[in-house]
Amino acid sequence: MVVGMKDTVKLIGISVIAGCAVFVCTLFLNYNIDLAAMKDKITTQAGMAMYQAQVSTGKVVAAVSGGCLAITSVIMLLFYVKNYIDTHSKELGILKAIGYPSLKIAKHFWVFGLSVFVGCVLGYVSAFFYLPSFYELQNAEHFFTEIRVRFYPLLAFLLIGVPAMSFAALAVIYACFRLKTPVLDLLKEKREHKTKVSKKETKDMPFLKELARSTVRGRKSLVFFIAFSAFCFSDMVQMSMSMKDLSSKTMAVMMITIGLILAFVTLFLSLSSVVKGNTKTIAMMRLFGYKHSDCSKAVLGGYRPFSYIGFAIGTIYQYALLKIMVTIVFADVGSVPEYNFDFKMCAVTFILFILAYEIVMYGYSQRIKRLSIKSVMLE
Amino acid sequence: MIAISDIVKSYGNAGNKNQVLKGISLQIMEGDFVVILGASGSGKSTFLNVISGLERPDSGSVVYGTNDITKLTDEKLTQFRKDNIGFIFQQYYLLPNMTVEKNVRMGADLAGNREYREMINAVGLEDKARKYPSELSGGEQQRASVARALAKKPKVLFLDEPTGALDEQTGRQVLDYICRLHKEYGFTIVMVTHNQNIAEMANTVVKMNSGKISEVSANEKQKTAYEIGW
Repeated sequence: MVVGMKDTVKLIGISVIAGCAVFVCTLFLNYNIDLAAMKDKITTQAGMAMYQAQVSTGKVVAAVSGGCLAITSVIMLLFYVKNYIDTHSKELGILKAIGYPSLKIAKHFWVFGLSVFVGCVLGYVSAFFYLPSFYELQNAEHFFTEIRVRFYPLLAFLLIGVPAMSFAALAVIYACFRLKTPVLDLLKEKREHKTKVSKKETKDMPFLKELARSTVRGRKSLVFFIAFSAFCFSDMVQMSMSMKDLSSKTMAVMMITIGLILAFVTLFLSLSSVVKGNTKTIAMMRLFGYKHSDCSKAVLGGYRPFSYIGFAIGTIYQYALLKIMVTIVFADVGSVPEYNFDFKMCAVTFILFILAYEIVMYGYSQRIKRLSIKSVMLE
Repeated sequence: MIAISDIVKSYGNAGNKNQVLKGISLQIMEGDFVVILGASGSGKSTFLNVISGLERPDSGSVVYGTNDITKLTDEKLTQFRKDNIGFIFQQYYLLPNMTVEKNVRMGADLAGNREYREMINAVGLEDKARKYPSELSGGEQQRASVARALAKKPKVLFLDEPTGALDEQTGRQVLDYICRLHKEYGFTIVMVTHNQNIAEMANTVVKMNSGKISEVSANEKQKTAYEIGW
């Protein structure tokens, strides 16, 4: 098998994200479907207003959470497929060299979809167990007396089967596209270098500074991933914290919990990828006699500014999204409070982000330090 | 002088222990060109790793002058490698995101060597200084790794099968560069190879078999890279 089950275990982060997305979507969509069946039985004006507010909320939350998390999962999946092909290019090159067509090799990448399947099943099942409490919470004022939790096979299929199949297909298609690389390039683990070297850089800049720059320029996908994870962290934590003012306490706690889990998962995944992608360079430098702290600073430190950029974009994005939600989507609902940018929350989230980033980086840096140089070089 | 005494090195756990080095002792003089010969699995690469400070032995000592590197902390060992050791491997291990010039600077900056371009010229890569490793042939990559190793002005240069991945002509060319630079700078060379012909270039030949030194011989007439067989 080209892609072993062991490799898919690394995709646990995607399972967590997919699980959270399906959890939120199941809650709101199942509730909305059950609620829609009640519509004709609502006789009071207050009941109808509550109905409309809850349907709108359900649609927006499912769309925003589900959409954001689906995009996150897609990006992560593509990143992992690319990373897998980059790190196994020699083996894949050998398969191509002995005559396996790209498509036949790419077909094995369907197993990447399993991570989504597992996440979706766990998300759906846990949401279904939570649904009775969720219904009680949503219907605290007893506007909809006859509402009951029902199981919808089509919804289950749409939230489990469709994502799992789509992600498996996406992994195969993307792998096929990446495997179009010529055999020799795969065998030689050749990557394109389009960076131009300016005379000034080469002459004036010390090696460690040049290394920091070229590491970042040479691994654009890692730069993107780290910025994206910072974006997710900033966006998810701030958005979920802001939700406490826009929804009930229980809902807020749920959103904050999911937001924090997702934020830490994406950050942890991206940092682990960054460290793994640079372990060999650090080992090589240590072999030559560079201090471990210098190696870590030069190789891993280059990503830090991009994480801050990602954080800033995430902050703007979450503010804009919530502002739009509050001013446009809930324009007719009187009980929704005014939403303004929360500077204090932003500062707290930023400090939390820096702490998480530096702690994870430090942990990994210590782990690399403990690795024997020989074991890294032989990988 | 490097005094190596009674080196023992094993891998695996207690139930399945494989003793790779079985009490090796050797002395290497300053400026020597030592070739360690042996078949696959004889322990020659492990021996090289131990005497260069890449791996710690289970017992025994490796003394450079008066400095036993087996007793050094990781930090001090790193400092020791920085000041004394150069490496050249069969797989080159160039940094893929950096040009030849920058790879060489990796070594040069450690020694404060501002004349590192001379080393690039010395291995005949002046035209390829701005190329990335993936744009070079195997021989060129190995020459770049030679330049990188020597740009830090090592006192001892360790080479692990430096021509193992090269064809005959390129292999001879790389060895020739190494020999010429050895004569010019006078550093000590310790080279591991399974190619018996290369041993004719060295002044000391150490033969290893099953984790032990089976023979140490002096080579009175050293041949050049173009005089040996292949």
